[in-house]
Amino acid sequence: MKTTFSIGGIHPNDSKISKDCKIEVLPLPEVVYVSMAQHLGAPATPVVKPGDTVKTGQVIAEPAGFISAFVHSPVTGTVKSVGPRKDLAGNNVTHVEISVEPDQWAEGIDTSDTLVVEIPQDNKFILDRIKACGVVGLGGATFPTHVKLCPPPGKKADCLILNGAECEPYLTSDYRIMLERSKEIIVGAAIMKQVLGGCRTVIGIEENKPEAIKVMSESLAELQKTAKGFDGIQVMSLKKKYPQGGEKQLIDAVMKRQVKSMGLPIDVGAVVQNVATSLAVYEAVQKNKPLITNVMTITGDCLPMERQHNYLFRIGMPLSYIAQVAGGVPESAAKIVSGGPMMGKAISNMDACTVKGSSSLLYFTDEQTRRKEASACIRCGKCADACPMGLEPFLLNKYARNGMMEELEENAIQDCIECGCCLYSCPANIPLLDVIRIAKGDVIRIIRGRAAAAKK
Amino acid sequence: MNTLLVSPSPHLHTKTSTASLMRDVVIALLPAVLVSVLFYGWSELLVLGVSVASCVLLEYLITKFLLKAPCTVGDWSAVITGILLALNLPASTPWWVVFVGAVVAIGVAKMTFGGLGQNLFNPAIAGRVFLLISFPTYMTDWTRTKGFISSSLDAFSGATPLGLVKEGGVAATESMDYLNMLFLNIGGSAGELSAIALTLGFIYLLVRRVIKPWITLSILGTVAVFSAICWGINPEQFTDPVFNLLTGGVLLGSMFMATDYVTSPMSNLGGVIFGVGIGLLTMLIRYFGAYPEGMSFAILIMNSTVPLINKFCHGKKYGR
Repeated sequence: MKTTFSIGGIHPNDSKISKDCKIEVLPLPEVVYVSMAQHLGAPATPVVKPGDTVKTGQVIAEPAGFISAFVHSPVTGTVKSVGPRKDLAGNNVTHVEISVEPDQWAEGIDTSDTLVVEIPQDNKFILDRIKACGVVGLGGATFPTHVKLCPPPGKKADCLILNGAECEPYLTSDYRIMLERSKEIIVGAAIMKQVLGGCRTVIGIEENKPEAIKVMSESLAELQKTAKGFDGIQVMSLKKKYPQGGEKQLIDAVMKRQVKSMGLPIDVGAVVQNVATSLAVYEAVQKNKPLITNVMTITGDCLPMERQHNYLFRIGMPLSYIAQVAGGVPESAAKIVSGGPMMGKAISNMDACTVKGSSSLLYFTDEQTRRKEASACIRCGKCADACPMGLEPFLLNKYARNGMMEELEENAIQDCIECGCCLYSCPANIPLLDVIRIAKGDVIRIIRGRAAAAKK
Repeated sequence: MNTLLVSPSPHLHTKTSTASLMRDVVIALLPAVLVSVLFYGWSELLVLGVSVASCVLLEYLITKFLLKAPCTVGDWSAVITGILLALNLPASTPWWVVFVGAVVAIGVAKMTFGGLGQNLFNPAIAGRVFLLISFPTYMTDWTRTKGFISSSLDAFSGATPLGLVKEGGVAATESMDYLNMLFLNIGGSAGELSAIALTLGFIYLLVRRVIKPWITLSILGTVAVFSAICWGINPEQFTDPVFNLLTGGVLLGSMFMATDYVTSPMSNLGGVIFGVGIGLLTMLIRYFGAYPEGMSFAILIMNSTVPLINKFCHGKKYGR
């Protein structure tokens, strides 16, 4: 029995079409627009004004709260404006507009390729570096990493899980960095392990990426032989099943522990970080390099092979610019998705710009992606079989449509992770997740309101 | 650039649809249909034809003229009801009796409740039980009709194996050849003919992941265990497990009727409770009831408990 999570899950075609496309560096555009909302939590506060000149890697915005993060200039140039601009969902967010000149990196940043293996022993130094470099979780939620690496008092990490599952179909950016930058990722893992008190560390990779498992294992063995601080790290092959990369599912798969409802991973001694985050931690701590780049996949069944790409992008690049560099939007594309096909967002605005957590431009044809008309529920139970949280989407759908809030809470709608397995599986095309997502928001508001009232 | 589609995630969808699931059930029923037509001939074809055609036509007419709702015959579920109803009737059933069965199955048991997904009782069984109570002569007179291929059973006419037992006691089973029954039963509903053909279809449904095996296995297990215990205590009074598994629609019922999505519980645990209930009721009716055969009644009775079972049986939730 291969390791995997114990409840539900689905097996969509993984469609890793662009897996053999090496990471290419995107040329710089003429102007970048850097969003202040690149992370979960409060948007950052800009500290530059129009007319200022900035260097690559220089701070342009400061955190506006405990859960917030620094933002750095991705380019060298002149600030042209600071103001609202639409993100990819069409919402107005403050952006810093910078006209681009040739790169000149801010002082103290090591831009060389030399691998730095020695792990700093000073945890405060490590955490300060991670915070100062604006590192956030790159697995999707963009939660500030330094916060996640500081367990609250009384809680201790038993296991650091590095998420290399990349269970979303089509995405290949994590796969590529595991092949091309394996050692840096592992050093990043060793740094986080050090901060967390030297707990066991597991790098989980799905079995549909045998090359990544091989390369990561070899690099790990080499580092363990030649350097200190790499003991207690292992690569674990996981069975292919979506959503393996879901935080709760990965903890279940690797540690055989389950996070309680409304609880945090640290409650069961788990800290989960994406492999891309680990790479960002490496760059921050070992190179003092702020998080201004990441890798994204440009793919789709309607793209010819030569137009499939994995790009190293900088934050603030307009999506339309990237699409154009990649050869344009294919004629047959009816929907463009940023993020994976299961949890990503449909883009309504190609003028939106890349952020730290950008991971893809996926092109889908009308036939692949258009929702079909819903018909009657045949009570097949496929949604319940698919739900990785063990919920009963058919039931939640019924309760939600009737506004039955108490029944929704009793049936754990607040535990929904919005992975999309239910809607994907429904043979009657019932928009289960659409309905559940809205009702879940309402139920969580009720729960929070009750908790707040109880405090008073 | 074209106008872009925008919708919430997920952006991909399984290729499995209601129609494809139902079509798989029809495909799974084909071996049993084929065997019954080969051995019961033109009369069986007539029963099947009338049953399927009236089920589909009735659903079409009801959605179009009574409910004024979108037509649902494209989902193949009426075809399944038609085939199952036909397989539950003797090949000698007159066409108008078949039609009445279809009216009860589709018109009463299915559409009155709101159509596919809403019905409490399995439509085909409701139709069959209605006929069994209303036209007992037609339903228990298993006159052998002429098949397309001849067999040693050609001359057979009269009661079913279970009927023989009800009248003549366990001794009647001595004249029956179980190996023969595995391939070809010695009379009964068309769908009871061949255990092998039914099992083939059942395996197809499992492989295609249309259904899960728990309901079927718990019915068969309960029938086997219960009859083994009774037979072990008193073989003079009670028939043996093999006989009980191979006769009276236990296979057809447990594989194709009790596993109907709409009228069976949603959870695995619920399915097992449902299956054990059907198995027990079937055997109680057979051993102690007035009817020779209890499968249809057992399924109908357990159908009515499904909302209750669903209320109390839920799958394991993460972290709870």
